[in-house]
Amino acid sequence: MPELPQALEDLVQELSRLPGVGPKTAQRLAFHILRADRQRADALARAIGDLKARIGYCERCFNIAEGPLCAICESGRRSTEQICVVESPMDVIAIERTAEYQGLYHVLHGVLSPVDLVGPEEIHVPELVRRVTEGGVEEVIVATDADIEGETTAVYIYRALTPTGVKITRPAHGLPVGGDLEYADELTLARALSGRRAF
Amino acid sequence: MRLLRLELRNFRNYRHLDHDLGGHLNLFLGANGQGKTNLLESIALLALSASPRARRETELLGPLAAEARVLGRVESEGRIREIRIDLREEAGRGRKRIEVDGVNRRAVDLPGLARAVLFWPEDLNLVKAGPEHRRRFLNQMLVQVEPGHARLISRYARVLEQRNHLLKQIAAGETGIETLAAWDEELVAVGSQIASSRRAAVAELAPLAGRHHQAIAAGEELAIGYLGPPDDFAGGVQKSRSLDVRRGVTGVGPHRDDLLLELGGRDARAYASQGQQRTLVVSLKLAEADLVAARTGEPPILLLDDVLSELDAERRGALLERVASAGQVVVTSAEAAPLPLELMHEARVNCIRAGALEPCG
Ligand SMILES: Nc1ncnc2c1ncn2[C@@H]1O[C@H](COP(=O)(O)OP(=O)(O)O)[C@@H](O)[C@H]1O
Ligand SMILES: [Mg+2]
Ligand SMILES: [Zn+2]
Repeated sequence: MPELPQALEDLVQELSRLPGVGPKTAQRLAFHILRADRQRADALARAIGDLKARIGYCERCFNIAEGPLCAICESGRRSTEQICVVESPMDVIAIERTAEYQGLYHVLHGVLSPVDLVGPEEIHVPELVRRVTEGGVEEVIVATDADIEGETTAVYIYRALTPTGVKITRPAHGLPVGGDLEYADELTLARALSGRRAF
Repeated sequence: MRLLRLELRNFRNYRHLDHDLGGHLNLFLGANGQGKTNLLESIALLALSASPRARRETELLGPLAAEARVLGRVESEGRIREIRIDLREEAGRGRKRIEVDGVNRRAVDLPGLARAVLFWPEDLNLVKAGPEHRRRFLNQMLVQVEPGHARLISRYARVLEQRNHLLKQIAAGETGIETLAAWDEELVAVGSQIASSRRAAVAELAPLAGRHHQAIAAGEELAIGYLGPPDDFAGGVQKSRSLDVRRGVTGVGPHRDDLLLELGGRDARAYASQGQQRTLVVSLKLAEADLVAARTGEPPILLLDDVLSELDAERRGALLERVASAGQVVVTSAEAAPLPLELMHEARVNCIRAGALEPCG
């Protein structure tokens, strides 16, 4: 391949780092952006810049947040007696869409996975234990996925929280087996949450 | 269970094959290296969603392109389904796309739709080969008769991979042991489901194999047992922990299973003569077909790859009895007339040359 101008090459490089984007797609996207109006390209660049400048993670639950706390932790209307543990902020969005759940969250940003060098510290388990130890929490719902890593993470969290005496539950099966919570439809998800069972 | 039609595109040495099969006996003749095993491999692929012999799936791609297709139309209990497996190479790795009647399906959810029992020359070593061969025998049978078993096996492989990584990290002092208990629990949860399936299947298989064995070699008592994880599986895993950490591998679980094969009270794995081994293998394979038929209500497709010529008259006779009975059979042979005359007459005969079918003669 003839060498691309540096600016184009840089963009292709960056795009191909995105999940699911191979070198060919990255190149197509880069050329698409090159062809687009100046305004569109600026808007894209600005959106990416703003994202990192304005959005971070909640100090308490690690959900996405525009300030130190996320909108859910900040809202006075949520029950603070329940914490729902999920793998990613996208799971929070999926559960919020069901309008079934009124408690707080704890976002792990991953699952236990020795293959990927991910242990409990990397997924904010110590912070979860601290939140529960501080008191006021009645129930922790462990809503990690039903795949091997999700199940094992749930087992680990169950073991880590057992000494605190808090009630620990897992959403009912009925979630697609081995499937992602994120992709479950609203009805299935609502049913799984309301039909949760003790460990 | 019947395979009505097989279509291959750029699969191994088959560039383009469209073939309608007969409902009973199908015989494919060909010299060595012409594509007999490849043909049966493609049918096994439809049954198992993985090739029983390829180490890498890219091996299956023919010379025309980086893509291959295996399509089978199968009939079971009056219902016809079309299974399509598209293979392609992506960044040096094989990728598979599976559709059943045009609907996408995961590889772990395919087995069970087209049920087949494959008997090929490699199986003749089943008795004396390593235990992984006997585990594979159990796996290939169970994924076809128990919905969800393929998924269990893939979950187990994953938990094992994770736990073994963790063991090595613990040994290297890179991490503590506090998450090990959770992995152990998952290992036992998934592993004990596999073990109980295997235990039940072996208990069912034993008398079936015993009967076939008796018919071939009267007088020699065959006993088959399941050598699985300890009854206290969880306790066994826990006891094995420090050794596991030292070795960096998991020592207890169904990945260590074996089949106990005894002839007249002696371990066939150690003592059986070549002839005894073959009798045992034929008995096991016939019992496998019996079990699949009993569990599903239909005889599986029997795939016999060039094995008839390997067997002497008595063992061949036992196999031919099954071949002659109900059910679809696909036989390959390098010999011109591997079957007795009356069966040769019943068979639909084709000749294979360089990955193409042609009239014999
Ligand atoms: N991916 C492939 N592409 C093309 N030819 C292949 C491929 N894999 C195997 N072959 C060819 O298939 C032939 C072996 O076919 P096989 O079915 O094992 O023969 P046999 O008739 O002896 O059972 C060999 O000639 C080999 O070169
Ligand atoms: Mg062959
Ligand atoms: Zn928050």
